[in-house]
Amino acid sequence: MTTLSKITLSLILPLGISQLGAEDTIDFRRDIEPILEKHCIACHGPDEVESDFRVDRKATLIGGGGSGIETVLPGDPIGSYLIELVREPDEEYRMPYEEDAVPEAEIALLEKWIQEGAKLPDDFEEEAELGTVDHWSLIAVERPEVPKVKDAANPIDAFLLEKLDEKGLAYNPAADARSLIRRTSILMTGLPPSAEQVETFSKAYARNEDRAYTRLVDELLESPHFGERWAQHWLDVIRWAETNGSEANLYRKNAWFYRDYVVNAFNEDKPYDQFVREQLAGDQLGAGEATGFIVAGPHVPAATVGREPSAIRQARADRMDEIMQTVGASMMGMTVSCARCHNHKFDPISIKDYYSLTALFQGIEFGSRFPEIAEDDPARRDYSQLDGDLEAIRSTLTKEAGVWQEDWHGWNDVYFPPIKTSKARITFKTKNVRIDELDIYGPEHPELNLAASKQGTVATTPKAIFNNLGPPSNINDGIKGTMNWRPIKEMPEGVWPSVSFEFPKPQLINHLKVSSNRQYFFETEYLTSYSPGSPKKFVFEVMNESGAWVEIASTEDLDQQIKENESLAVHHENLQATIDAVLEQGPQPSFVGQFIDPVTSYVFHRGSPENPKQEVAPAGFDSLEGDLGLDSSSPDPQRRMKFAEWLTEPDHPLTARVMANRVWSHIFGTGIVATPSDFGTVGAPPTNQVLLDWLAAEFVEPTVTGGESWSVKNLIRTILMTDAFRQSSAPREDGLAEDGSALYLWRFPPRRVEAEVIRDGILQASGKLDPRLGGKSFRIHNEKKTYAQWQVVDNHGPHSWRRMLYQERMRRVDDQIFTAFDFPDCGQVRSKRPVSTTPLQALNLMNSPFAMEQAGFIAERAKQTSNDDDVAATKELFNILLGREPNADELEASLEVARNGGLELVSRSLINSNEFAFLP
Amino acid sequence: MNNPEEKISFHGRRLLSRRNFLGQAGLSLGALSLSQLLAKDEGMFGKAPIRPDIDPNNPYTPRGAHFDVPAKQVLVIYCPGAVSHVDTFDYKPALIKMHGQKPPNIPAVTFEGPTGNIAKPFWDFKPRGQTGKMVSDLLPNLAEQVDDFCFIHSLTTQTSAHPQGENFMNTGFTMEGFPSFGAWCTYALGSENEELPAFVAINDPRGLARSGKNNFGNGFLPAAFQGTDFNAKNPPSNLVRPEGLSASDDKSTVDLLQRLNAGHLEQFPGDADLAARIASYELAGKMQTSIPEIMGIENEPGSIHKEYGTDQGSDLKREYAKNCILARRLVEKGVRVVQLFNGSDPSGGNGITNWDSHANIADTHAMQAEIMDQPTAALINDLKRRGLLDQTLVVWCTEFGRMPFLQGNGTGRDHNPDAFTCFMTGAGVKKGFSYGESDEFGFKAAVNPTTVYDFNATLLHLMGLDHERLSFYHNGIERRLTNVHGHVVKDVLA
Repeated sequence: MTTLSKITLSLILPLGISQLGAEDTIDFRRDIEPILEKHCIACHGPDEVESDFRVDRKATLIGGGGSGIETVLPGDPIGSYLIELVREPDEEYRMPYEEDAVPEAEIALLEKWIQEGAKLPDDFEEEAELGTVDHWSLIAVERPEVPKVKDAANPIDAFLLEKLDEKGLAYNPAADARSLIRRTSILMTGLPPSAEQVETFSKAYARNEDRAYTRLVDELLESPHFGERWAQHWLDVIRWAETNGSEANLYRKNAWFYRDYVVNAFNEDKPYDQFVREQLAGDQLGAGEATGFIVAGPHVPAATVGREPSAIRQARADRMDEIMQTVGASMMGMTVSCARCHNHKFDPISIKDYYSLTALFQGIEFGSRFPEIAEDDPARRDYSQLDGDLEAIRSTLTKEAGVWQEDWHGWNDVYFPPIKTSKARITFKTKNVRIDELDIYGPEHPELNLAASKQGTVATTPKAIFNNLGPPSNINDGIKGTMNWRPIKEMPEGVWPSVSFEFPKPQLINHLKVSSNRQYFFETEYLTSYSPGSPKKFVFEVMNESGAWVEIASTEDLDQQIKENESLAVHHENLQATIDAVLEQGPQPSFVGQFIDPVTSYVFHRGSPENPKQEVAPAGFDSLEGDLGLDSSSPDPQRRMKFAEWLTEPDHPLTARVMANRVWSHIFGTGIVATPSDFGTVGAPPTNQVLLDWLAAEFVEPTVTGGESWSVKNLIRTILMTDAFRQSSAPREDGLAEDGSALYLWRFPPRRVEAEVIRDGILQASGKLDPRLGGKSFRIHNEKKTYAQWQVVDNHGPHSWRRMLYQERMRRVDDQIFTAFDFPDCGQVRSKRPVSTTPLQALNLMNSPFAMEQAGFIAERAKQTSNDDDVAATKELFNILLGREPNADELEASLEVARNGGLELVSRSLINSNEFAFLP
Repeated sequence: MNNPEEKISFHGRRLLSRRNFLGQAGLSLGALSLSQLLAKDEGMFGKAPIRPDIDPNNPYTPRGAHFDVPAKQVLVIYCPGAVSHVDTFDYKPALIKMHGQKPPNIPAVTFEGPTGNIAKPFWDFKPRGQTGKMVSDLLPNLAEQVDDFCFIHSLTTQTSAHPQGENFMNTGFTMEGFPSFGAWCTYALGSENEELPAFVAINDPRGLARSGKNNFGNGFLPAAFQGTDFNAKNPPSNLVRPEGLSASDDKSTVDLLQRLNAGHLEQFPGDADLAARIASYELAGKMQTSIPEIMGIENEPGSIHKEYGTDQGSDLKREYAKNCILARRLVEKGVRVVQLFNGSDPSGGNGITNWDSHANIADTHAMQAEIMDQPTAALINDLKRRGLLDQTLVVWCTEFGRMPFLQGNGTGRDHNPDAFTCFMTGAGVKKGFSYGESDEFGFKAAVNPTTVYDFNATLLHLMGLDHERLSFYHNGIERRLTNVHGHVVKDVLA
């Protein structure tokens, strides 16, 4: 069997390649080096280092290159990757790449060399020379000295002015009051200031600039809209959306709990380290909904993956990768996913690191659960009252009826007096049934599903109705959702669908739970093709000791009893009312992730789950001392918590820098690192690293500004108080010539505002904006069939006059107005929205029913305050939309339009104007 | 304190040291934009990217290809649902011989579940044209043109699920959010017609395909390069002047807007973003004329309508035929990329919605073929007659093939990711040529297996674009349509 037997001595070997007798031992210099030099070294040597693999370095020749797989396992030629590669039948993967295969005789020599221990000569290159340069972002932050710069209002200005001075540039003069309040309001709350706010501020600013501005900043930071604005940025990065994406693009039920968590976190100024910890391990910190973060990315649900085991494994690996993208892009600023198939080409992330990181999340699955809430949460108190009511009714029913049924919408429970049996059977009195799961419980362990195949119970169905598209094993496999049990379509006359359960030993049972698709009930809504609940007509029987079936519960009998017994009817009514109240006011399932038993993680060679290599422990990056003392047996909660703690250690080189830069980026339009989710070597280098390090240090440990540790509001306030922020955005020739994009901030960089700001600004101007925070997203789409696309039904009616943050956020669905303004499709992480300009934007903002209708409302509002005076109304219109009066030319032109066609035309022009859409 | 290595583990230093050759970018850069900040990409990702020079005032101005090719435009006819290659263009006599048998190497379970027996083609195959290419009777009109077609019979994909398959064919990734082929082309090349969108996605009368907008989306490319979605029946949303607004009132709003913008621009002289936005309103105005004009297929002569079949057969066929006429008109006007869909998601209407045929393939494929065959053949023929094929690449494709054996139900064929057929015709491709082969059953690609990466690399090559150099920085990587894979199939080049 051993490949060594393949050495055929009669082979004619090419010149320079040695021939050996079976007894000869390999000499590396004589036998192996020529082979490597002939086939390998051109691409894997001093000239080129393809895949970070060199055959002239011991570390890689034996230990492996970019693939992360050891090349040679001394003593084991068959298991050695080197041999696998040269023998690979698929030319695409065979080495040497795009060259003739290594002759069999030479492979035999390589095999013999490995068999003999892969010995290298003593003078073989021992180690690659150690470098002296590290990547800046992976070295712990050292708080830099603040440069002494004349006229610097604070440390940030000192850092910036020092750089500008090197370029022969300086700041612009201060912005005018109107621009300043417009800029600050939009950046802090996403809403432009009202005309009144502009006027009040301008007057106060004229009296005392610093005092007026400080007060403005304080007010804006305390505005409840602050959290909405900054939540939007965070949701972009992690491409959070309320649908799965993919074909069915199903709505994720109550996913918005997480959105509200983020809004509140920013509003409460939750310390950023806590924000990070809760999103990774909120289930252990009384903030279960925060883990919506982990499952923010898209996923393909089981029904669309198909039934091939390899496809199912691939889909799970894809979901893990979505988690890696989310965590990597948002919290770490590293493109972790690049190491999925091979060592990261540019950053110190090995393929082993990648799979160690996935191991941290092996206990998470995309899906719903009841989010954990804190002990002292008031919701808990309200619910416990209902819970008590329910138990009281149940105990009455136990006494008076013995058997009763509860409709929990997503499933039905039937309770009956305890009985011991080894076999039970359910017969549905409906022909077309599909049951995803049927649970049977007993009084001894009310939470233990005795019907589960895990417990050794076997489910069977009569042969005559067996359907291989939905075998009975689906009914007790623990998998809920579309993988269900179903009988054949054309049922024989007089036969009802039934399933029998045989327990491994007699069990005491008193309760069954049956559902058609419990997963959809927990995870989704707005489907016309799915009605929650399960068939409500069935008979449940158990087998007695003499082998006869005994009826235990019949829904038909139950209905009859209720009809005949008034007191029972009242109890049932109360029961259902209480259940409905629990469903409405009690804890709700939310798409914030499901917990599963973590499996052991392996490195997947070339990213393929079909090719697992070495086992890896859950850990952070090796290069950042990421050993968390965990192994494959560590429980899931501990994995995530340890990781969260590691990530939020005050001296973690990335966490504070990445967030400080993110905040900076949202304020100035471009980060100090222009690629806010890539702090690796491919990302943009910092334009001012000392400034970023100072911000990061101050963020973690404020010494100058005197705020709380990790306070985002404090960080923002510090930045807003700079002259850099308060300067004008006017263009200047020297600045444009030297630094066209104003990366060094010789002016405040103007830019187009986001979709949300345009939309919410219009609604605010019309006076129609409903400013309430949070809650269920408003809908603009239809209810649909499972495999249909969402259709926009009403994207402009009064129900939609809320902030766009609350518009249901659907992956890759066009809302036919504002998604055209670079609103992310939520398929990929988006640390920074591109700003592009397209004719479709123009058409939407000119002609959409929303724009037309709101333009009318705004004109009406302007007229109301102006006593039929069209000059006053026109001026008011400018004030409402732009916070200023028109100049003479504008007034004249506008009046002419208004007098000929109505003020709403002027309003329509203004909401389309550059001034309205640009941050001054 | 200043030995930075002390702060990083041994392992980290080892990893870092291997990357020394990359060097560290200095911080003394001059005027910078992001792409300049990222300008150290020479050699880092293999070949250096070629960045299109995009005029912010008009992102659609035409730009040169990477190299000279005959194709200036591309028409992609996409058939969602997976067309059965063994029932259309990939003739497998072994299936006739083995009909009803179940050889041992057939897997027990494929995408939708348990497998059944080998089934012969549901339609007879005949030799066609001068080349004698075997094509089935399912597509009699397309069959007549095989002498012009270049088939690839050995395509393989990475998934047997439709949405991922659509994503993979159209964006090069099974996952969501990557730019579509059309977006890449318009990003690189702009458009010859600046009054129409550079990239038009003509959706099926029944609605969007399963991956929806992702099939023609811009992904992380600027929004300007997404496909504009309209067909012969429905204009793009918000194109039409709102009801109740007179043309003169509309014009006076626009005039006032441009006057306000001009005044505002004076405060920011030369600001490209502001100027671009002004230009976008002008372009929008032009499209309000040019798109209804191009949609006016009723002005086409009766002979054209007859040829395409707008007046014969099922309603769906008539609608699709109109879309085909629209496609020709768009190509005629110089639109860079036209993507024409023949099928929608599974709820589109009338029971058949696309080529998916898990049950009763004899009926479902027949109904879908009735819609697709004549109008598509007429479209290709019409382009040829007008000389447009000299500068237009036409691609007919689907996300995967179907199995040579039936499903457990005995009437349908399941998804086959390991062998399927697409064809090309027009500018730059060989005529009457077939590349690659599937095995004797059409079960797996056998000769010259061609991945979707290879296919897309070839399409880009035909458009004059080097798939390794057409890239865009996104989140740590210079992203390409072909990821890090793909070889141009040189054999199909004319």
